[in-house]
Amino acid sequence: MAVNYSFQEHLVDRQAKAEEEMLKKFEEGNYTLENPLVVYNAYLISPLSAVVCFETEEETPVTVTVLGKARQGNISHTFPKAKKHVLPVVGLYSDYQNKVELRLYRGDSHVVTIDVPDVFDGKQVIYSMDTTPEYLQDNIILVSPAGEDLAVGFDYAGDARWHMNVPCVFDVKRLKNGNLIMGTNRVIQMPYYMSGLYEISPCGKIYKEFRLPGGYHHDEFEMEDGNLLVLTEDLTSETVEDMCVLIDRNTGDILKTWDYKNCLDPDKVGKSGSWSAHDWFHNNAVWYDKHTNSLTFSGRHVDSMINIDFETGKLNWVIGDPTGWPQDVVDKYFFKPVGNNFEWQYEQHACVVTPSGDVMCFDNHHYGSKVRDEFLPAKDSYSRGVRYKINTKDMTIEQVWQYGKDRGAEFFSPYICNVEYYNEGHYMVHSGGIAYDSEGNPSEGLGAFAKNMGGKLESITVEICDEKKQLELHVPGNYYRGEKLKLYSDGINLELGKGQVLGQMGVTKEFDTDIPLESSGELMPESCNARIEDEDDRFTFFSRFEKGQMVMLLLEQGEEVHRYFISTTAVPFLAMCCGTFMDSDERNTRTNVNKAGLKGDYQVRVIIDDKKYETGVTIHC
Amino acid sequence: MIKEVNHEEFEQLAKSGLVLADFFSTTCGPCKMLSFVLKDVEKEVGEDLTILKVDFDQNKDLTAQYGVTGYPTLVLLKDGTEVGRLQGLQQKPMIVKLVKDNQ
Repeated sequence: MAVNYSFQEHLVDRQAKAEEEMLKKFEEGNYTLENPLVVYNAYLISPLSAVVCFETEEETPVTVTVLGKARQGNISHTFPKAKKHVLPVVGLYSDYQNKVELRLYRGDSHVVTIDVPDVFDGKQVIYSMDTTPEYLQDNIILVSPAGEDLAVGFDYAGDARWHMNVPCVFDVKRLKNGNLIMGTNRVIQMPYYMSGLYEISPCGKIYKEFRLPGGYHHDEFEMEDGNLLVLTEDLTSETVEDMCVLIDRNTGDILKTWDYKNCLDPDKVGKSGSWSAHDWFHNNAVWYDKHTNSLTFSGRHVDSMINIDFETGKLNWVIGDPTGWPQDVVDKYFFKPVGNNFEWQYEQHACVVTPSGDVMCFDNHHYGSKVRDEFLPAKDSYSRGVRYKINTKDMTIEQVWQYGKDRGAEFFSPYICNVEYYNEGHYMVHSGGIAYDSEGNPSEGLGAFAKNMGGKLESITVEICDEKKQLELHVPGNYYRGEKLKLYSDGINLELGKGQVLGQMGVTKEFDTDIPLESSGELMPESCNARIEDEDDRFTFFSRFEKGQMVMLLLEQGEEVHRYFISTTAVPFLAMCCGTFMDSDERNTRTNVNKAGLKGDYQVRVIIDDKKYETGVTIHC
Repeated sequence: MIKEVNHEEFEQLAKSGLVLADFFSTTCGPCKMLSFVLKDVEKEVGEDLTILKVDFDQNKDLTAQYGVTGYPTLVLLKDGTEVGRLQGLQQKPMIVKLVKDNQ
């Protein structure tokens, strides 16, 4: 059987066509306040949004209000004056006949109805939201994917008001211009290394994809000048998740790179319970502190947050249990605890530096020790948001706040999660990686694995103000981070025109050993269920193989051969911060090849054990 | 030389010189691939190296003796003493470097 081939247009291209079509229809019609053009999910990936288009005789501001199920649920925004109005509508309800009011400044108004289907296909997406409309106002609590459940945002009443129908994963942040930044939906290497980041409108319009040669994972940070710090790696090296780059916001060019192997020796670190030689640091967060011109990185697999100088990359300090670190490193860079009730963090996530210089994080407290014999079982574990006050002169550290420890295992997330600092005493603590095994006990395995074993996943997001809990969101599924934001911003909201694909993909790591086989001339066996999804800058080969088969993907152009080994052995990942792309059938493989470094037409062939098969597919690079 | 060995043969051959023990499984795709890599390694540094293939499932005593918990695992021995180890499928340059660093 020939391998199934399809070409996937980039979302930016698909959105450009959809937008062009919408604007053409707008131009050709006579759309007024009373009879506007309403385009539901205009940008294809945000199914709780729409765009309304109409013309007024005079220039006038327009206020768009998505009418809530109760008045407190209204989501409203006033757009600048114009005659031609192309206005994003965000905050629609799922499975509901939405009423959206369009009101001209000191003028008429009109209510349009937008029918939205059940975008969750009957799936329960929330257990409870416990807060008040006075507290949350028209903000939503947005949770981003760590598993099969996609990004969703909830209002004060627990109604979903925002959703993405493509798996954009990891962190979501609001940028200073009002846009959102989040990981793309394009996996370049399993388990979760993505092509880069999307800068996107809440109505789903992608303005930019920032591609990175080493891909994107976990976190990013917007600098004061708009440039972006992005966590990445060198996918051709022997280690992962140990690099950060600064990229130009306008061009996507890499301006500066920090490789943590330059300030730490991967063999001489205090290893966490999940440490491996390959993923020795496991960087899950970055924070820039302008007051010290330094970068703070959270390294899950060293149970530490490290701080380095922005210019030189030299290590300034390390927050973590010193057990297992070389004494000279401890003496020079580690803090000594002072005060009461102090506890170190273990396998933490999401470091934050407060305006006063304190350091916060989500302390997953996974294993609760660096000593194997003292590892805590899940049932006795806890997670917490924690704030440390550090004194870098006398190298002391004091724990000044925590939330979550008292809740025990019900709030325990061995992976992912975050804290947010809003103001003094006002924080979010998002425990998004809670998992129970098939018998209902706190799971020893991470959520992504527990789910596959018949377990149950949960996520609890809490906001605390002056020691009082103001909000608790409880949802099924694991979610990487929680983020509070308003759907409309004072910024752009919707800018027309085709999005840009910036930066570069890297050359995919090849295997240099040749297996001397001639093509059998046979097509791949039907049982492989193979298919190729081709794109402008890469292609992905999907196929099913039996455990133990030796498999190699080949790109052949005359004498030129590129080899990509496909493992058919289940890899025991010790970290699975994003299980979104995991397949429940371990026989299914997913192999990405970037087109960078390739030129011309390549025949795709596959070696399975002692036979070389044809796929019938030619890839153009 | 590349040779698949049992426990007794291993004990005999591993006690002198530079020996690379390849703990493999017949049910492991990366192990099969590593066999091709080791043939290339032999071409480059085979004069000074003996490569012994040890079936993980058939030689539990040896895997326990060397603390091998997964496959493929390469253990480099010099005169019977472990001097290096690589876990998982490796490319030729990495293995050659390990060997040359210990010659």
